[in-house]
Amino acid sequence: MTSEDTAPPPAPEGGELIADHLELLAEMGRDFAASLDIDDTVRRALARITRYVDAEGGAVFLLDDDGTQLRCTACVGATDITGLVLGADQGIVGRSVQNNTGEIVRDVSKDPAFYSKVDKQTGFTTRSILCAPMSVQDQRLGAIELVNKRDPGALFDETDLRVLEVLSTSAALALLNARMAEALVEQERVRREIELAAEIQRSLLPAPRPLPFPVHGLNVPARLVSGDFYDFFPLSDGRIAFNLGDVSGKGMNAALLMAKTASLYRCLGKSVGEPGRLLAIINDEICETATRGMFVTMVGGVYDPATGTVRLANAGHEPPLVHAAAGGFTALAAEAPPLGIVPAAGGEGLPETELRLDGGTLYVFTDGVTEGLRADGDRLAVDGFKDHIRAHAGQPTDERLQGVVAPLNPGAGTLHDDITVLAVDDSGPAKERAPAAPAAAAEERSERLLDIRVPARADRLKMIRAAVSQAALQCGCSDAVARDLVIAVDEACQNVIRHAYGGESDSEMVLEIRRAEGKIELLLRDFAETIDTAAVRPRDLGDLRPGGLGTHFIREVMDEVDFLPPPAEGGNLLKMAKRIG
Amino acid sequence: MKHSVKEDSGSLVVGFEGDVDLQNSPQARKVLLEAVGRRQPVLVDLSSVSYIDSSGIACLVESLQAARKAGTAFALVAVSDSALRVLQLARLDTVFTIYGSLADGLAQAG
Repeated sequence: MTSEDTAPPPAPEGGELIADHLELLAEMGRDFAASLDIDDTVRRALARITRYVDAEGGAVFLLDDDGTQLRCTACVGATDITGLVLGADQGIVGRSVQNNTGEIVRDVSKDPAFYSKVDKQTGFTTRSILCAPMSVQDQRLGAIELVNKRDPGALFDETDLRVLEVLSTSAALALLNARMAEALVEQERVRREIELAAEIQRSLLPAPRPLPFPVHGLNVPARLVSGDFYDFFPLSDGRIAFNLGDVSGKGMNAALLMAKTASLYRCLGKSVGEPGRLLAIINDEICETATRGMFVTMVGGVYDPATGTVRLANAGHEPPLVHAAAGGFTALAAEAPPLGIVPAAGGEGLPETELRLDGGTLYVFTDGVTEGLRADGDRLAVDGFKDHIRAHAGQPTDERLQGVVAPLNPGAGTLHDDITVLAVDDSGPAKERAPAAPAAAAEERSERLLDIRVPARADRLKMIRAAVSQAALQCGCSDAVARDLVIAVDEACQNVIRHAYGGESDSEMVLEIRRAEGKIELLLRDFAETIDTAAVRPRDLGDLRPGGLGTHFIREVMDEVDFLPPPAEGGNLLKMAKRIG
Repeated sequence: MKHSVKEDSGSLVVGFEGDVDLQNSPQARKVLLEAVGRRQPVLVDLSSVSYIDSSGIACLVESLQAARKAGTAFALVAVSDSALRVLQLARLDTVFTIYGSLADGLAQAG
């Protein structure tokens, strides 16, 4: 044996010596493991293979995403065809990919599949081709193709093909890995951006203020970003502006609209003191620019700790609840549609409700609260919420909110909807307003002034008006207040006749008037089918149409207007109240 | 409720007296729309109206709209305190032309 026989094959130009293909595999494995730059790695692998098999040139073809085209992504030696695009079944490479098998074509001129165009354009002469598919299990990625042995007399053989097949399989694995790594990096990038968005969102919520500040809020997002928001900030005159809203939909677009709405409110809320007008301005702003189909339900209000009065406007939002100091609940139904649906007519503000908390607490909350409860039983969701409020009634406001929300959020990841609650607690300010003799007002007994039962007929209205006027004057109302009460009762009776009974009826309505705790209360009861109180809304005053005014009159002149839960024997019970003296 | 329709200096003066409420607003509506239909300026005298409800207001709005369509003048005159309160509640006190007295109305509308 001569020394030449045992010598390794001649070193390819500029390259290192590779003793056998196991070593080549190991080299390539290291390359693939070390690099996440897929193009570079594939190019280096191709160079090693081409050298090892002693071919004139080599090319990597990869299938595009939908598998219809093969594109040359890397090329060594011979002619540079990087960027060449073939049909997925075109050429010898296409056939190899489609059949998912390696091929040796020793004389391409005898193979009709040979794609001869490149030779014609470059003047290169392809004599033979060695081709192996890049695939992992059934997933086809492309193929590696080598052309012409460098030694013109030599031909590709079965050993060459086996080596190429092994190498292309490992290149395919590396390619898949790199693609997966790329997807993970992208996923991570998106997650970080969402986290950043969530952080900005949290910064839009107001910082909690220590007690005895009377307004507190709580937001538990179901996802990273939330469509819910709340805010509160003191105004220069000592009143406190607050709001709470819920953007339709979830995810990033809801979060963006939330950010816009919350910012508008905070910015305008310092100069526009009337919540109804403020919501109307924001409505117009959102209508002008919001994405179609997205809207915001929102309650905006102003609370005056000096008087315990809250002024609020409700745009299509879940009715806020007032938990009176004495224990009862009152719901304040929405009087306007959500923001972002129709621009307000003629610059009119949204209708406002004014009420006195008298030491009670106002709760504004999103439907995540009531819907969270709906799941755990068949009781009315709002009733469940009231139970939770009652259970924690004695606690300081901030702790109370935590306690009220805790049962809704049993554990991580179980929330379906964001939970947001805001509380305006008048109990502290009320004590400061009336440090002496708080008992007197509460002790005052309610006195019944009038109790009449008449058929629901238009010709009884005159008599009812006269009776209401008498009763009002008797308990000390001014002429103007008495006249307003007459309007409210008359319109309420009309609603009973026209809407509850659907026309004049011999069925009855009962009016009771009583005086209690500095208020005159009017209770109107009918025996018609229970109506959907959410549908009873005042009309839009910008809309110059006859009709639909009555409910607006009632809300305009009375301090409180509420449909109480219907009595056991059915019908409807409307309670209206106005402060006197 | 009583009503009267008189012609004065080229205008029709429609007067109501007493309560315009659910019971008699259909009648008030008929009277008003007939007056507007005569294509003369219409002055509605509300000085003797002791009470008007939302259905009465609705008649006034409907008549105003009919008059605008026909291009004839339509105004309220000498609106009683209780009627004015209801117009204010409806935010219609600026929508209607209102004259302090019938004489003013006749001078302006004629």
